[in-house]
Amino acid sequence: MMRQEFQSGLDELERQLQDMSDKCARALHDALAALQSHDGASADDVIAFDDEVDHLFISIERGIEELLATQAPVAGDLRLALAILHINLHLERIADQCVNIAKLTKLSEPEGFRPQLVDAFVEMGSRAEQMLRVAMDSFANRDAERAETLTDLDELIDEENKALSRKVIASGSSVEAQEAGLRAMLISRCIERIGDNAVDIGEQTVFLVTGEFREFTDASHPS
Amino acid sequence: MSAIDSDPILTTPMLELSDTVDEVEENAEVVFDIDGLSVSYGDKLALRDVSMKVRKNQVTAFIGPSGCGKSTLIRCLNRMNDGIATLDGTILYHGQDMYEQGIDVTDVRRRIGMVFQRPNPFPKSIYDNVAYGPRVQGMKGDMKERVERTLKHVALWDEVHDRLKASATGLSGGQQQRLCIARAIAVGPEVVLLDEPCSALDPISTAAIEDLITNLKKDYTIVIVTHNMQQAARIADNTAFFSVETGSDGRRSGVLVEFDRTSKMFTKPSDPRTEGYVTGRFG
Repeated sequence: MMRQEFQSGLDELERQLQDMSDKCARALHDALAALQSHDGASADDVIAFDDEVDHLFISIERGIEELLATQAPVAGDLRLALAILHINLHLERIADQCVNIAKLTKLSEPEGFRPQLVDAFVEMGSRAEQMLRVAMDSFANRDAERAETLTDLDELIDEENKALSRKVIASGSSVEAQEAGLRAMLISRCIERIGDNAVDIGEQTVFLVTGEFREFTDASHPS
Repeated sequence: MSAIDSDPILTTPMLELSDTVDEVEENAEVVFDIDGLSVSYGDKLALRDVSMKVRKNQVTAFIGPSGCGKSTLIRCLNRMNDGIATLDGTILYHGQDMYEQGIDVTDVRRRIGMVFQRPNPFPKSIYDNVAYGPRVQGMKGDMKERVERTLKHVALWDEVHDRLKASATGLSGGQQQRLCIARAIAVGPEVVLLDEPCSALDPISTAAIEDLITNLKKDYTIVIVTHNMQQAARIADNTAFFSVETGSDGRRSGVLVEFDRTSKMFTKPSDPRTEGYVTGRFG
């Protein structure tokens, strides 16, 4: 094996990316826990934790930039470098959605959300956590087939998102109910976007394995 | 179905990408059609069973480790190996067998010019270096105009127009190499073969030659042998990767591993041997 230093640099960036994913999973888990326990202090912790995620995001981005500038990777190495760059951005967005959930949790103080909505959030959130895990495992194992299963999981989240919208509409027409409903919709949308980001990560795995980029579902040309 | 069921905001991803770019269609005219070509130097087999097509007004790069036969092949394309190597198989030039009996080798070399690794200007003036070929070929017309046009074509005119009578050996290495390219194209060839033209040049001169090659392909078909893979990636439309392998007869020789669009060769090569070489993991 030649170019050992280059290879170890690429391996280290991929390890950092998995670390980034672990941090995102933790942020999502903690954001949902804060939402469930209606705990403003825990929500503050989630918001503060995002600095750590951003720091790692920048470190990975700089690492890829340096690798592209100095090592001029090609073929499979180039695809891996590009996939890491894209996935890093998707993960950073996921962490940002967790911050949004935490901020909306704080806004809902002191009364919080109705238990029925909280249960729906937790259900959706655990689905999103599962999608993130599938996406990153598929990437680590270069498993394009498993990455494609993310679309099925995403459909479940989309359905839950729609079901939650119905609950919000049914929750009443008072100003208070409308405000709470709006926040609930935003939280639901945040979780749904995390699912979309996991699908995007899956698309990067397929690109890495096959060399062809394609969207799993074409939003502009639905079948 | 309620509005929620069909609401695109609730059901579709936000980021959308247009369709991927289609592959460039490969329909340019074939200049060289190489079929089943094997080349030997005495008992030593240098190249085994190469088949490929070189197309008009494109830059085709040959890459591969030392001894893979890439220089042997480029020298076969204007019969520079005559009397040195023996060939099996065919090389058609616009459908005509280049090695058929009765072919005028001088005419072949006028149509298919060659530039070598080290700049080798004649120990004559800059002007005479360019005018030499046309004079030998008995070309008519305004020689001054031809020399000026050729030097402009290789982006050397602005640097030398006030010292055309000065010795070519006083030019820098990069200028000398551009002069050698000028000498090659002064006789109006269709093809320019470049055998590692930048290996003796500094990065600035290399960049000038690469720009020149990109410009020249509008008028000429270019074949280049290079050890610099990034150079192939930068300037070539198509890239051929050669390697050294042991055949079923136990003889080691150069083989063509893969030949494709350069963009494909450096992003998603089909053969793992190409992947190993371009990523630097061969051996």
